[in-house]
Amino acid sequence: MELTQGDNSSKKENKYEAKQEERKRTAAALQKKKTLKRVSFWTFVILLLGGGVYGIIKLGDASPSSQAAFLVAPVSSQDLVMGSSTSRVVLIEYSDFQCPACGAYYPLVKQITSEYQGRIQFVYRNFPLPQHKNAKLAIAAAYAADKQGRFWEMHDALFEHQPSWAESNNAEALFITYAGDLHLNVTQFTSDLHSPEIQQRVDSDYEQAVKAGINSTPSFFLDGARIQPQNYDAFKSAIDKELAAHA
Amino acid sequence: MMHSSQLSTKSWQLTRNVLLTIGLVLSLIGFFDATYLTVTHYAGTELNCPLFGGCETVTTSIYSMVGGIPVALWGAGYYLTVLVLLLAYWDSRYEVLWRIATRMTMLGFLAALWFVFLQLFVIHAVCFYCMISAGTSTLLFVWGVWAWYERIAWRNVC
Repeated sequence: MELTQGDNSSKKENKYEAKQEERKRTAAALQKKKTLKRVSFWTFVILLLGGGVYGIIKLGDASPSSQAAFLVAPVSSQDLVMGSSTSRVVLIEYSDFQCPACGAYYPLVKQITSEYQGRIQFVYRNFPLPQHKNAKLAIAAAYAADKQGRFWEMHDALFEHQPSWAESNNAEALFITYAGDLHLNVTQFTSDLHSPEIQQRVDSDYEQAVKAGINSTPSFFLDGARIQPQNYDAFKSAIDKELAAHA
Repeated sequence: MMHSSQLSTKSWQLTRNVLLTIGLVLSLIGFFDATYLTVTHYAGTELNCPLFGGCETVTTSIYSMVGGIPVALWGAGYYLTVLVLLLAYWDSRYEVLWRIATRMTMLGFLAALWFVFLQLFVIHAVCFYCMISAGTSTLLFVWGVWAWYERIAWRNVC
């Protein structure tokens, strides 16, 4: 009698345990499925976001500025050159007087040209970007000053006053004021500003820059190789390296 | 009673899924837009600048950096945070994630107001991609208010 009772209870226990086991197994399978779902969800999210960001980086890089070969023309008599003409280290800048980034680089370049005076040749070339409404007129002003032998002074004035004239509807009047400040012959300056000779020079600058493959400003070339210094020290170390190579 | 409660829970789920989708789409657009601005900032490439033409002026102005970090990168971080919070909510259904995401949109909206003000009245130039971001931030804020309103409305019913 007792035995039968014990048999019964152990049978019950076994059944209960089996049920428990079954339940545990189902729960584990469910948990596994959930985890798998979760992992695939986040993998998909990471792939999607990563792919998107990678695509954008590729898109940003696709502009010729970082991949195309530049055909930077050698220094000619047409160029505006500062510094030693005998130096073999040549720094060429393609710039736009109205471009804010060029304005930001202006003090750096000025510091470089004064520090390396006599040791490097600095060439300033114009690339007036079409979206800058006063860029071409600014170049004309610099060339009009050049006719009176004061290109670099006007170059400095244009960069120093860039925020005042950049979006102005009366930039010409401002340029004439700068000419007056530089003690130029203002009548001559004003008439030169619109002379066909200067207009042609400005247009030719643009065409030359496009032909060279330039598509952004400022673009710096050190002995023909593009450099993109982010600060003064980077600029300096690039030039020092080049000077050492020529020593 | 049971029936109506089930019904409202179901309706809230539907509304929440609609809200979730909209929030995800908006933050994804904002994230890719801000990422594009960040990439061009660090690559130094020129922006392809439609409509207003003021991208360069805006993205190189002194207001384009906050704490030494470009505003675009802050923006990308903001959108990515909202996006990840919403995705994590979708995955886990932790209410707190949803609450943080919807409340965060207020920050984005305030930043958008400030940067639109700067473009129009201080820098006097408008950058297309920055305006897209201002648009997504504003819509996300509207979305956040809507989400908050819906949550309260459904909570009262349930």
